[in-house]
Amino acid sequence: MPTVPFTMFQKVWDRHVVAKAPEGEELLFVDRSFIIEGNAFLGFDQLRIAGRKVRKPLQNIAITDHYLPTLNRAAGMGGFTNPEIRRVVEMQNENAAEFGLEHIDITDPRQGIAHVIAAELGLTQPGLLITCNDSHTATNGALGALAMPVGASNQLSHVMATQTLWQKRPKVMRITIDGVLPPGTTSKDAILAVIARVGIGGGVGYAIEFAGSTVRAMSMDARLTVCNMSVEAGARIGMITPDDTTYSYMCGRPYAPKGAEWDKAMAFWRSLPTDDGARFDREVHIDVSNLAPVVSWGTNPEDSLPITASVPHPTDYADPEQRRRVERALRYMKLTPGMHLTDITIDRVFIGSCTNGRLEDLRAAANVLKGRRAVVPAMISPGSTAIKQQAEAEGLDRIFIAAGFEWRHSSCSMCNGSNGDVVAPGERSASTTNRNFEGRQGPDAMTHIMSPPMAAAAAVTGKLTDVRTL
Amino acid sequence: MEPFTVLNAIAAPLDIPKIDTGMIMPGRYSRKYRRPGHPDYAEGFLHDLRFDADNNPRADFVLNVPEYQEAKILVAAADFGCGSSRETAAYAVLDYGLRALIGPSFGDIFNGNCLQNGILVVVLPQEAVSELWRQLREQPGARIIIDLEKQMVTAPRGDTYAFDIEPTRKKRLLLGLDDVGVTMEYMSKIEVFEERHRKVLSWLAPII
Ligand code: SF4
Repeated sequence: MPTVPFTMFQKVWDRHVVAKAPEGEELLFVDRSFIIEGNAFLGFDQLRIAGRKVRKPLQNIAITDHYLPTLNRAAGMGGFTNPEIRRVVEMQNENAAEFGLEHIDITDPRQGIAHVIAAELGLTQPGLLITCNDSHTATNGALGALAMPVGASNQLSHVMATQTLWQKRPKVMRITIDGVLPPGTTSKDAILAVIARVGIGGGVGYAIEFAGSTVRAMSMDARLTVCNMSVEAGARIGMITPDDTTYSYMCGRPYAPKGAEWDKAMAFWRSLPTDDGARFDREVHIDVSNLAPVVSWGTNPEDSLPITASVPHPTDYADPEQRRRVERALRYMKLTPGMHLTDITIDRVFIGSCTNGRLEDLRAAANVLKGRRAVVPAMISPGSTAIKQQAEAEGLDRIFIAAGFEWRHSSCSMCNGSNGDVVAPGERSASTTNRNFEGRQGPDAMTHIMSPPMAAAAAVTGKLTDVRTL
Repeated sequence: MEPFTVLNAIAAPLDIPKIDTGMIMPGRYSRKYRRPGHPDYAEGFLHDLRFDADNNPRADFVLNVPEYQEAKILVAAADFGCGSSRETAAYAVLDYGLRALIGPSFGDIFNGNCLQNGILVVVLPQEAVSELWRQLREQPGARIIIDLEKQMVTAPRGDTYAFDIEPTRKKRLLLGLDDVGVTMEYMSKIEVFEERHRKVLSWLAPII
């Protein structure tokens, strides 16, 4: 038994410390780096300017996800309609080839959103230190990995050139979620409730460990949704202790260890969970036993309320800064204080993203849509090509199509509109994504974020709807 | 990277809270290619706040006021730079011509990206930030002095505010050091680490 109890975060962090700068930052070893196309060209340019190489090409995998079209994918690189978007993907193809990196590209059968396929392929494993030039990298923490986002330019080129990263050790916060999630609610509702509680700045400077009976009872898909939104609570890192759910999820994945190697890995993984009595810098407890489905009403994820509630009044906020912000949010969202959330009509529904584009999410949406029809335009972009195929094997695609949904290919798609799938100006969407910032889904688009069953319910009625009343 | 020592410059007050990186650098600008060393991202910086739908400058937006044209410091409101990790937001700040940001709080990733790109990020209590806003509005075009070595902000009226900064970042900003160059000096340590690490995580071979 260890004499000093450690948190899981401490154990994984300490294992990756190469050196400590006299001034305090630590040099961390990066086990795996995922490079998404976004602005990775900035990082590759920096390598080129400095005449540097990727030091450990096998530890860096390029993944293209944000800019891929959701239609006409059989045409490969010929399927783009916007030349500027096509160019971003071409640069990624060129850079991956020039620097000798494996690239899960547009035609790869493993293609999908980085934060979906990393776990799906078994690239993400408990105890690894993972970086990716995308803010939702914490998703990987659901498997007990220490995963953090890096900037696409300086930090990414630093990882590529040295396989390390300078970081200041964050404080650690444990968020304990207890209680049985009531019918009609999902892990998305739980994490939205957490964010509404701690605020979008609440986790700044912290790594979060999600714990508690609710989290223990969650499937891996549900846990990935929780860790995905760590950054919406302000934290760059979110983790969940590995357990039997994790091990059975890992087993048989393409990049997971096999045979004797599996046993070695298991011994290591089992050493990772937080020790009893370990000290956290901050503890938050939340009970979800009475949780109702949650939707966002404003322009950041902390602006979330149970669907049974009404749009708040700016005067509900004591802090003058908050009041001004809420006034601005209500103006942007074209909402009247006091109106019932269920009276908000929507123009469009999007189901997908690294938050809620996994198989379990699609099954939950299909469950609501079976035998029903959407009354507004609606589309689904599965989190990965493999998920799309699995959903088709289960017949989910037929349910969606019968309900009037468009069944598209995998991409980040309408989550942030990188690929051109945008919500039109002035349109209001119900979306299973993670961000409802101004303009997130397109200029002047209004976004309400929610769980897949709630988005499906909204599609059926054309309004924000309590899925429990359908 | 240009060293950052003392900055004495015009400061602009921007009191809108929670400006996320997507507002700082909208996606449609973010995907454009930036030629290394060229300020190509200046146009995108806070674009939709600076310009209306017809691309005309919004006259009432602070950065469009003539007195602030030469501003190199922005005094921002809470949670400036929250949201997506796009490093283009930091480049946009730089390309627009800013060298320092002052505010009560910043998005974590954005903060790191700014420091990496030679932009000093100064966190001060909200009361201090509100006082700076007040003085800057009273006297548009007034200057603020930021002394990184002393970790001190001097307001237009001469009142001073101390700030904290992570010592590693401070040193690298003061000397204009690029992280990769610093890290290369640790290469033998990295190699020793890898030897050991490979033995523990042997199932990852031959990757590590
Ligand atoms: S799905 Fe959305 S949040 Fe996730 S990586 Fe893509 S754009 Fe980012």
